[in-house]
Amino acid sequence: MSLLDRINRISDNSGARKAWFGLVVAIFIFIIVIPSVYVITQIFADWDGVSAVFNDSGKMSVIWRAVAVSFGLAFVVTIFDIITGLPMAWIMVRKNFKGKNVLDTLLDMPLAFPTAVLGLSVLMFWGAPEGVDIPGLGLHLSPFMMLILLHIIFTYPYMVRSLSGILEQIEPNYETAAMTLGASRWTAVRTITLPLFRAGLVTGFILCFARSLSETGGTQIALKMLGVNSFYFTGPTYIAEHKTSAVIATPEMILISTILIIFALLLLVVARSIITRMGVSTEKVWPELGRRLSHGAAPVAKDSLAVLILFLFVLIPSFYIFTYLTDPGSVDTGKLISTTATSFFIAGTAVAFDIVFGVPVAIYIARHRGDRLVHILDNLVNVPLIVPTTALGVSLALFWSAATADALPALVLVILGHISFTYPLIVRNITGAVEEVDPSYEETAMTLGAKPFQAFYKILLPVIKTSVIAGAILAFTRSLGETGATQAIAGSNVDTVPIYIVGLVKNGQYPEAAMASIILIAICFVMMLIVRRLTHRGGSRNA
Amino acid sequence: MSKIRLEHVSMRFGDFYAVKDINLEVEEGEYITVLGPSGCGKTSLIRVISGIWTPTEGRVYIDGRDVTGVPLEDRDVGYVFQNIALFPNMNNLKNAEYGPRVRARPPEEGEETAKKYLSLVNMLDRSGMFPFELSGGEQQKVAIARALSSGSKIIMLDEPLSALDARVRMELRYEIRRIVKELGITVLHVTHDQEEAMSVSDRIVLMKAGTVHDTGTPIDMYRNPQSVFAAYFIGETNLLEGYVDGRTKNGWTKVRLRGGKTVKAEKTDLANGDPVVISVRPENVYTADDGIRADIVNVVYMGTYWRVRTVAETGDYVDYNVSDNLTPPKIGDRVTFVFNKSMTQVFERPKEGLTEAISLE
Repeated sequence: MSLLDRINRISDNSGARKAWFGLVVAIFIFIIVIPSVYVITQIFADWDGVSAVFNDSGKMSVIWRAVAVSFGLAFVVTIFDIITGLPMAWIMVRKNFKGKNVLDTLLDMPLAFPTAVLGLSVLMFWGAPEGVDIPGLGLHLSPFMMLILLHIIFTYPYMVRSLSGILEQIEPNYETAAMTLGASRWTAVRTITLPLFRAGLVTGFILCFARSLSETGGTQIALKMLGVNSFYFTGPTYIAEHKTSAVIATPEMILISTILIIFALLLLVVARSIITRMGVSTEKVWPELGRRLSHGAAPVAKDSLAVLILFLFVLIPSFYIFTYLTDPGSVDTGKLISTTATSFFIAGTAVAFDIVFGVPVAIYIARHRGDRLVHILDNLVNVPLIVPTTALGVSLALFWSAATADALPALVLVILGHISFTYPLIVRNITGAVEEVDPSYEETAMTLGAKPFQAFYKILLPVIKTSVIAGAILAFTRSLGETGATQAIAGSNVDTVPIYIVGLVKNGQYPEAAMASIILIAICFVMMLIVRRLTHRGGSRNA
Repeated sequence: MSKIRLEHVSMRFGDFYAVKDINLEVEEGEYITVLGPSGCGKTSLIRVISGIWTPTEGRVYIDGRDVTGVPLEDRDVGYVFQNIALFPNMNNLKNAEYGPRVRARPPEEGEETAKKYLSLVNMLDRSGMFPFELSGGEQQKVAIARALSSGSKIIMLDEPLSALDARVRMELRYEIRRIVKELGITVLHVTHDQEEAMSVSDRIVLMKAGTVHDTGTPIDMYRNPQSVFAAYFIGETNLLEGYVDGRTKNGWTKVRLRGGKTVKAEKTDLANGDPVVISVRPENVYTADDGIRADIVNVVYMGTYWRVRTVAETGDYVDYNVSDNLTPPKIGDRVTFVFNKSMTQVFERPKEGLTEAISLE
């Protein structure tokens, strides 16, 4: 009997199904959630060390400043993303034009770049490494401005993606109906569509905020190239700079990780309640203003501006690194191949784990909406997402060394770490997709004699396949680009590609770093093409 | 002057014409139903009139003014959607107030207007509720109040009843007619339900494949359809194929059916030997001692009558009705039938073939 048949038969037993779901949820809680926030308990375990730091006003002012920079940065970037991402989402969902597919692919490209590469590319574009000056404009970009420009790049695609996801769900007839009643498009959007947008805004806000708050590799490179890395920190770079091989976590790291985690979790709650309660007043309307904004030059200007911002602030700075192709550095090929292999192994294992143990949780959440426990589970999924990955790395390293008495090799720890922050991406994606699928498809399959597992495997899985793949690509690229967590967990014991590139930049080997980045991007690009090709063929075979 | 006038209006998407070269005039206060099978361009037609789409060719006139380029929000044509599309973030009163509000009417006036129309559709007591708290029929009533309170004198109804229960559908359609007639509003009501079209409209516009196939009052369209398609789509009919075989002294057309029997039908000026199709409605077919032989293949109880289906010796299916209080024949029985020659139509047999001509695609 084949494995599938055996699973089919077992899936008919409701006890076995319960046991499986129990196992999956237990894995989620004990392997993903608890280790992510374990560092908080270390405050008490290492009370003396922590309170010594806490009473050292010099150190504390650096820590508070780093936390402030991190949150300020994330906030500014997210607001910028919302303002500029909204019109872009509109263009992607409601407009049809030539080259829309190309734009669609371009929009995802920055997600495929390791952030360390982006850091380099952005700095080059905006004028580094000699110090960022735009003499013609008399601008001198502060490190904070520079980081804003950098963080926009890898948060913007998340924002546009989550906003367009919601926009697609909103019935376009609402706007048309408003317009038949005499509202201009601007008024219709402001009074009808935008108020329906809140859920999407929460998701987009959390994703972007968390992404910015977590980012380590690119930020580190940017600060290093600006020459301010020894005194100007974000929360994650503070942890990365203080990582030593001697101990898993210094009291400074424990303290700042805890602060970041607690603030991030508070923010998750506050942002959700503020955005859902925030009332955009739909009472007042300005028909004349609306009319002027809806016709003629204004909408064209708005769309052009949105596209211009996409190119100027996101795409061109990302791709700027390709200009280094004219000046190839000599890359240590052996080192590049071995670190790339490590990165791919980590990302691949993490994504495989996410799919096997994340899909059941996603389905369970989607199919049991309204259940109190599911509500809690649903919120818990966001926890590893919002916890800054560097803090998460510190937390994980502490947890597993305590739990297994340092028995686990560093590579396994790194994989566990990467599972933690990629898992929510996959679960989020698939929950959304499963909610769109009418459960009666599976029910019909079962009335025709399919076992529960068959109904899942033959009916639901093919329907949600594109979302699973989209989630997997998102998670894979996210893992591939991650620097902070890897560093926090393993120090220099595990060499992934981003860490290798960060190392090159720290040594001032910019051309080599650029070259290595280009090779890595090329590999990513080819890989994404292959995945697209394979899944496409799979799709036509099933049709 | 007609309220709405369309001149050679076409709506093209790539190579496909959703509507093609439509000319139509609608009088003020007229209740028109646009009838036709799915995908025939009914909705495209009213989308073009209301300004949701700008036609690729042709002009649209309202009150004699060319409004082809006027954007939808300034066209002042109300629109009621099949999927209702009440704003989910507003209660029913706010929904109904929306039109006056976005035209910057004073709030008191807006509220007064909204309440007036909500009470006209008997939904005033539900004005504080949200759309999702109402049943489908109630939601559609609020949607109609919303369209009316924006002050439009022209309203497009896009299959407004098709998502509702049969019973609610029946009641609501008469309600809508009563209200718009009371207010003197011009209506284009899209439907694929020929019974609905028949029972509410002053005039039916029958569409097929993007063009206006035929138009007329419900009685005209039922009694004197101008084409096989119109006869087939509006009401039910039997179609018998044959050839013109001379004329009687009184001018009735003699038609030789397949199998050799000759019958008398409507007066026409078709020439001998022309291929024709006779259309005769089931209620005009009677069993008799002599006539065309037919075998009963099915008997269905319809409530007020029995619908009997037969295969005639001519090879055509022929349906007829038997009153509820009579005993219907049994399947396999043989009957002979005749029909009332003055209640028949004779059409030239369509060149594309009968099946193609009455196809609903």
